[in-house]
Amino acid sequence: MSIVPYSHVMTLATLLFVMGVVCLVARRNLIMMLLGLEILLNAASIAFVGASLRWQHMDGQALALFIMAVAAAEVSVGLALIVAVFRRTGSVDPEVLEPEPSTRQR
Amino acid sequence: MNLYSALFYLLSLVILASTALAITRRNLVHAVVYLVLSFFGSALLFYLLGAPLLAALEVIIYAGAIMILFLFIVMMLNVERLEERFFPARQWVPAAVLGLLLAVVGLLAVSTQPGGDRLLKTAVAAPSAFGSYVFQRHWLSVEIVSLLLLIALAGVLFLGRDNDKGVSEEDR
Amino acid sequence: MTFSPMTETSLLAAVCCSVLPLVAFAVVMIGTRNRRRLSAGISIGAVGVSLLCSVFLLVRHWHADEPLRFVGTWLISGEITVPIGVLLDPTSLLMLVVVAGICFLVQVYSLGYMAGDPGFTRYYAFMSLFAWAMISLTLSPTLLQLYVFWELVGLSSYLLIGFWYEKFSASEAGKKAFVMTRLGDVAFLLGLLVVLVEFGNLDILELNSLAPLQRMDPAVITLSALLIFGGIVGKSAQFPLLTWLPDAMEGPTPVSALLHSATMVAAGVFLFARIFPFFRLSSTAMTVFLLIGTVSMLLSSTMAMVARDIKQVWAYSTVSQLGFMIMGLAAGSFFSGVFHLTTHAGFKALLFLCSGVFIHAFGTNDMFEIGRRGGRGLHIPMVCMVIAAAALSGIPPLSGFFSKEAILGALAELDNPVWLAAGLLGAFLTAYYTFRLLFIVLFPRRQEPEGDGDGKDGGHGAHDPHAHRQEYRAMAGPLLVLAAVTLVLGFAHGPLERFLHFEGAAAGGHGPHWLLYAALGLASAGVALAYLEFGLPGAAQVGFVERMPALKKLFAERWYLDRMYRWLLDRIVYGMVSRACSFNDRKVIDGGLDGLSRGTIASGRRLSSLHGEMIQYRILVVFAVVALLVLHFFLQ
Repeated sequence: MSIVPYSHVMTLATLLFVMGVVCLVARRNLIMMLLGLEILLNAASIAFVGASLRWQHMDGQALALFIMAVAAAEVSVGLALIVAVFRRTGSVDPEVLEPEPSTRQR
Repeated sequence: MNLYSALFYLLSLVILASTALAITRRNLVHAVVYLVLSFFGSALLFYLLGAPLLAALEVIIYAGAIMILFLFIVMMLNVERLEERFFPARQWVPAAVLGLLLAVVGLLAVSTQPGGDRLLKTAVAAPSAFGSYVFQRHWLSVEIVSLLLLIALAGVLFLGRDNDKGVSEEDR
Repeated sequence: MTFSPMTETSLLAAVCCSVLPLVAFAVVMIGTRNRRRLSAGISIGAVGVSLLCSVFLLVRHWHADEPLRFVGTWLISGEITVPIGVLLDPTSLLMLVVVAGICFLVQVYSLGYMAGDPGFTRYYAFMSLFAWAMISLTLSPTLLQLYVFWELVGLSSYLLIGFWYEKFSASEAGKKAFVMTRLGDVAFLLGLLVVLVEFGNLDILELNSLAPLQRMDPAVITLSALLIFGGIVGKSAQFPLLTWLPDAMEGPTPVSALLHSATMVAAGVFLFARIFPFFRLSSTAMTVFLLIGTVSMLLSSTMAMVARDIKQVWAYSTVSQLGFMIMGLAAGSFFSGVFHLTTHAGFKALLFLCSGVFIHAFGTNDMFEIGRRGGRGLHIPMVCMVIAAAALSGIPPLSGFFSKEAILGALAELDNPVWLAAGLLGAFLTAYYTFRLLFIVLFPRRQEPEGDGDGKDGGHGAHDPHAHRQEYRAMAGPLLVLAAVTLVLGFAHGPLERFLHFEGAAAGGHGPHWLLYAALGLASAGVALAYLEFGLPGAAQVGFVERMPALKKLFAERWYLDRMYRWLLDRIVYGMVSRACSFNDRKVIDGGLDGLSRGTIASGRRLSSLHGEMIQYRILVVFAVVALLVLHFFLQ
């Protein structure tokens, strides 16, 4: 039984990726930026799983597995960083990370 | 259009819609919950594409662990009360232009890809077969990933230390 | 070509012949700059061995019927292969002997002439370089290799003309020689490129076959022949590039002897002879060559009639004799041109070397001064000079008579009698100015020639020539050898003609019988006129030209050629071309570069704000670059 053309899976992954990028670039909130990163990784996973089915090869799924592991590590470190930043500055606005003293909110 | 393709389009719709809602919420808790929905959709999509183990892991790790971690942080920091300055125009206009550009370029690339119109056949990678495959062929990567997770653990412990005392000493 | 012991020995000899002077140059330049006698010995030894090799080759291949050619690959670029090697055929063998012989004699002579000069070793090093370049030039199998050595000849003559570089006029003369010959060489190079593009290679033997007719358009043949001839015009100082040669007198006299006989200027005529069959394919080009040869011959003869500098007279006569050779070649007689080149090399070297003795002894170039100081007292050079001058004037039985007669014969075979008339006029003028000089030196007046002219006997100069016995002897040896050669070479006419004969060459010109008498008569008339005006006791020693001030001025100013060049240079080159170039340089190129750098800085400032902003803008830039890269790789 056939499902859909391969390109449709890739289209889905592309759109998801674009959403992740917009979230990453447009939201002025470190937590939302991290969420955007998760969306990006998820889009990549979908593309890999689709490719795995297209070529009937399990390497794609293996890569998706590793992506999940990396995402878990990245999220844990990223959230810890956000917590540290919040503790120091009391804000999660990415602008507080800027080196200019004028924009630093301390 | 058979049942599988109908399922695919339905899932795609759910994933895209919930993701779009997630990235536009001002309330972080809502955003995280919508994203959990999106990841559930992704898990079902993985199942449809013949990766049952990944589907399970998606639910357990992404939807279960990562998103819950987000929720915890959101609640712990209590950032609800911090008003997020709604996107200034000099930020979201370039972001929108870039998003459009990326979408156009990506779709062009996907549509011009050779063999892109090839139909995907249903197939299943049995979890046991997949697991033994990963551990036979990618044992080194598995080890590296485990090392990475260990380092992440150590890094998080270091970052999460209560170092108020040290900072205050510095300030004095 | 299969390698047999016979050809291998020839190859070895040819390579020795050409490379040894280079080795000598390197050794003298690097190793023995401070050891004068050793340096001179190395240099003379190298040229001597070259001479032996060349004579050996000539004797060995005297009866060879086909040219020997050894080539290896030097460069490969695309479809063009540049070979390097040697070509031994009658033309190159004969020229080889002439070049090596003159180089050897001049170097021996220089032992005396240059003794005591502070640049003695440098002089010998440059002489070796010169010998190497010229010998290799004669052996070149392709025009490209020939061109390389052609330029080396130009370089070494520049070094030698400007040898006394402390003297302003010497370095100026060196520069002038270099630049003027370079003008011709540009044309030569263009011609080579035309041949290369149209014909495919520059092999001399192939060019000399009938192959160019099949592969090249007649108009292109004419064009390339004219362009290549441009190089000859520059090198052999033909009209309109002839004014560098008289100025080249600033160098040491032996250098002039070398330059004027066997090397620098002979290279031009040699090139003509080298690809003579190719040139002959275009009759239009041949007519132009004939015209240029004639014009330069007549112009320089007139200039020689009023010169006071002894070396300058010989310089003008060189130009006119080169014009003669080119006339002979362009008239279609290969043999007459090459034969005259050979004989001329002998007697012109002799003339210069004799003048060198006088100049060395009396310290002046002025012929009246030399006569007054007792030029007659130096017997050997005086006798030799008379022999050489007679040869130059074409008086039998000296070598010049035979070769000049061959050229006149070739001219007589042309349809248009103008050329023959010009040739005969040239012969007359040559005899006149040559003997004018001789009589002025032989029969000096005590005072300026404008004076009463009662003095018959010049007193001995203050500078005693016998103080330098040793130097004098070193100088006299080569003189005697050359004089002997001049005396007998004319009788080698027949064998040489057989030796140089190749298929398709026109038979040597033998004009009608009256031509012989006409030439003889005109030469004698020239001598007689000169005797009447300068030699006769009580004659005023004022030439008929000098009685006409306008004409005298015209001739003495070299027909205003130098002024014309100066004017052209000032008006066109300095005034227009260089101004335009300088404008282009300052405004367009500099301005463009400045604008470019300013634009780069400005746009860099603007772009740098992308990195100075907050983190999300940086991420934005990263993804924008990703998008552009995708665009580039997927959609190209």
